[in-house]
Amino acid sequence: MSAILTELNALVLGLFILAAISMVVIRQIGACMQLFILQSLLLAASAFLLGASPLSWHLIALGCVTIASKVIVIPWLIRSLVPAEVHRRRELSQAIDVPAALLLSLALTLVGYAFAQHLARSAPSLSSGNLAMGFAGLLVGLLLLAVRTEAVPQLLGILAMENGAFLAGIAIAPDFPLIAELAIAFDVPLLAFIVGLLTRIAYRQIGTTEVGALSALRERAP
Amino acid sequence: MPEAVALNLAQLAFVLALSPLFAGLLARCKELVQSKRGPSIFQPYRDLRKLFGKDERVPEGSSWIFRTAPYLVFVVPLLITMLIPVLTSFPLFLAFAGDMLAAGFIFAVSGFFFTLAAIDGENPYGTMGASRTRMVGFLAEPVIIVALFTVSFVANSTIPYIVQQHWVHPIANFFAPSHILLMIAFFMIILAETGRIPVDNPSGHFELAMIDESKALEFSGRSFALIKYGGYMKFTVLAIVFLNVLTTPWGLAGDGSVPAVALAAGAVSLKIVALIVAIVVVESSYSKLRLFRISEFLGGAFAVSVTAMITQLLHL
Amino acid sequence: MIVYVPVVALVAALWPAIPRSDRSAPIATLAAAAATLALCFIAVASAHGSGELLVIKHWIELDSFGALLLTLIALVYFTASLFSWGYLKSERRPQRARLYYANFNLFAFSMLCIPLLAEVGLVWIFVELTTLLSVLLVSYSLTSEAIEAAWKYMVLTLLGATIAVLGVLTLFWALHSGGSTDFTWSGLRDGASRMPPALLAVSFVLLLVGYGVKIGFVPLHTWLPDAHSQAPSPVCAMLSGVETSVVLYVLLRLRGVYATDAALHVGTWFAVFGLLSVVVAAVLIVRTHDYKRLFAFSTVEHMGIILAAASIFTPAGDVAALWQMLAHTVTKSFCFYAAGATLLVTGTREISAVRGLLGISRGAALALLFGGLAIGGAPPFAAFLSELAILRAGIAAHAYALVAILAAFLVLAFFGVLWHVTQMISGRPEAQRLHPRMPAACALAIVLAAVPVVVLGLWIPADLGRLLESAARILGA
Repeated sequence: MSAILTELNALVLGLFILAAISMVVIRQIGACMQLFILQSLLLAASAFLLGASPLSWHLIALGCVTIASKVIVIPWLIRSLVPAEVHRRRELSQAIDVPAALLLSLALTLVGYAFAQHLARSAPSLSSGNLAMGFAGLLVGLLLLAVRTEAVPQLLGILAMENGAFLAGIAIAPDFPLIAELAIAFDVPLLAFIVGLLTRIAYRQIGTTEVGALSALRERAP
Repeated sequence: MPEAVALNLAQLAFVLALSPLFAGLLARCKELVQSKRGPSIFQPYRDLRKLFGKDERVPEGSSWIFRTAPYLVFVVPLLITMLIPVLTSFPLFLAFAGDMLAAGFIFAVSGFFFTLAAIDGENPYGTMGASRTRMVGFLAEPVIIVALFTVSFVANSTIPYIVQQHWVHPIANFFAPSHILLMIAFFMIILAETGRIPVDNPSGHFELAMIDESKALEFSGRSFALIKYGGYMKFTVLAIVFLNVLTTPWGLAGDGSVPAVALAAGAVSLKIVALIVAIVVVESSYSKLRLFRISEFLGGAFAVSVTAMITQLLHL
Repeated sequence: MIVYVPVVALVAALWPAIPRSDRSAPIATLAAAAATLALCFIAVASAHGSGELLVIKHWIELDSFGALLLTLIALVYFTASLFSWGYLKSERRPQRARLYYANFNLFAFSMLCIPLLAEVGLVWIFVELTTLLSVLLVSYSLTSEAIEAAWKYMVLTLLGATIAVLGVLTLFWALHSGGSTDFTWSGLRDGASRMPPALLAVSFVLLLVGYGVKIGFVPLHTWLPDAHSQAPSPVCAMLSGVETSVVLYVLLRLRGVYATDAALHVGTWFAVFGLLSVVVAAVLIVRTHDYKRLFAFSTVEHMGIILAAASIFTPAGDVAALWQMLAHTVTKSFCFYAAGATLLVTGTREISAVRGLLGISRGAALALLFGGLAIGGAPPFAAFLSELAILRAGIAAHAYALVAILAAFLVLAFFGVLWHVTQMISGRPEAQRLHPRMPAACALAIVLAAVPVVVLGLWIPADLGRLLESAARILGA
């Protein structure tokens, strides 16, 4: 791959992990969604860059599918299923405060890096940076899922984890069966649909979408 | 040798002469964006002339710190001008006297004495502003240190002239992720250190909400003029460090001839104007953060700079 | 031919889309389930005869391991649809009932597809689909606890699925760098020896954690008691009875691939997780306060037992593990029907609130007693023979520590289950609400589900035995 494409890809990866870390700390729910859209665009950009030379229609198709499903369909689904009032909200409760969350996500990024560097030595891949940032993105998405109590950021956490997994995937498995990837393209919007529906049900029945605060089910002393 | 002296004097003259102009431009642009006419871009010159002619009043219990701080605030940016590439891309004779860490320390000297003078001034708002400035300062420190470390990993040096060479050869280095992330982090630091929105409101009048402005409340006459002038020059010097060393080191004179230097002066002014536009855009888009959220803002800058360092260290 | 198996379920899923079909939807579902069961038996018989059935090479293949699982899924689908008919008779809102049936059939469809697929990537997609299609079923009753349970289930399982997808991609990377691109079960076995060990290790960890969340290994099991107790009872039977077993099937299929690298200590990891699940689940069974959670913890325990049996790596151990899977499925679905009947009759899930069930409803009480005995592993029920086979295989393989811990905690769990059940059955009747009578469909479902539990405890039909053995051969290959 030519030098400028490598550098651009590295830039895209840096911005990708930055988007993931910002998603962990941003409190406005609508802004969290916009960061997710940005992250998905960066994933598609990385697919396009990796597929540019040597030319791989597979990767370019994957990039287009990502844009169609994650940038257009899923945000539309979430915005239409979850009541608009929820999107304007700020999340008030914090499991850990912002600077601690930032430091923890940086630590997780380092862990992901170290891990992937170790792996990249065992077998060839299109780009070891993708593998590193993919693992890091997965871990940061996991952190996002763990520290947020509102429903929509938790859903975005799962989707961010998938973004990370696929960022690694496009570099390590570029000729993964296309039909599997197309099916994934239909699977993820279905995920967003069902979770959006559940959020809507929760909002209607319980009156709140702060699902992390629900804790009625646990073991009590008999 | 005389040529080197002349070039150094030219750099000092550039900073001295044009800093109030840039400050005036910034104020005018902000007002224009808000659909107002705004003051003339030469207004800071008129303010300084007026202030230099006025009487000075000093609080009764104040000490020599109160009287010497304004001179320090005025002189320090000029000292730093001699260390960084302002108009030329080749090092001048004082260039190796101090690197960027030294520049940071020298800035800290002026900030230190200014803060002490604010407390010395026996104005409660001054003390409040001093403690807030220290808070912003210590939160910004890790970012600057990490940014400097990253730059030193890249260029194997922290001398500004050497660092500047690295980003332009080859051109692909400009798009290196560590470079772009450093730009973002340093831009956030400029906003914090020069007291711009979202950290502080430079045109606010409400003392309880001030961070930087309230330190200067007790000064009058010549001291106040020196402090204002020093503030304008600090902004210009930080902008030059950002633009000529870290981000866009183009347009500097390759030799000491008069046309090349004049052209360089024009190019650097244009770059600073572009930065001013960017700052105006940011200032007009956001609102001032609450005090306790400044740590989140600077924490974000820290995250960006550490990401830059990681991407550099692991040779992405 | 076997392609029609899941298609029938898919058609039944579309039936409730017809307006005013709330009366006919349960009948359509039942018919589809019966048809599926019949088609299954035919397919299994033909697969068994020729050893393997290929419909579309590399995509849809059925061998005896898959056939075993397919039969289990179809059986529970059938009894669960019968039970749903009676269970939902009290549902006043026809819209909700139609949604339930549509969702129920889609859920069955997604599970039925998994044993038929040979392409590992597609299997992952369908495993994730089983989660997505069962989430709304878990939250069906729309109480705050049900929604909380559904949300926890969804979040934790999808988290596991995302970790698993990275594991699948890493496995593909390993296969690819070994030189092959045949990403099917057989292709993986063939290419296993050429895979780089580091990648194999990483994908093992990721898949163990990722699929382990869905199977319910301790410490990844926290969603399981909530989801499997808050869902409507027929859905619980499907979730506990087959869904966890299906994902365990996927994990066991990969055991052969990872076992080629001795440094991975696959056996040790399986034994550790298996025993941990058994120990923790047994302790929690004793302390639980809700009888549906009791059965859910029992599912965790049984998944641990199967995994511990699979860690022995001998043919006898493999046969015993699959036998346990079979016994668990038929017994656990029966238990949840009994629990569902109890819930209908008493209206509460709390053990402490139910006393004297024998006086309130003879049928529910007897069913609960038999269920408790059966799942605890008492003779003459199916689980007793399978657990005995596991212990014998362990002793024969000199895994004495494993056998000792397993035996001890099996006994503990047995006492726990029986203590709670007898507390509920005996005494003076207190809680008497809702139906004093069980709907006929529910009673019929309970009786039908009880048949395999008792029969398999006494005698294994020769065909079934041969199926088990050829499935174990595939597992151990």
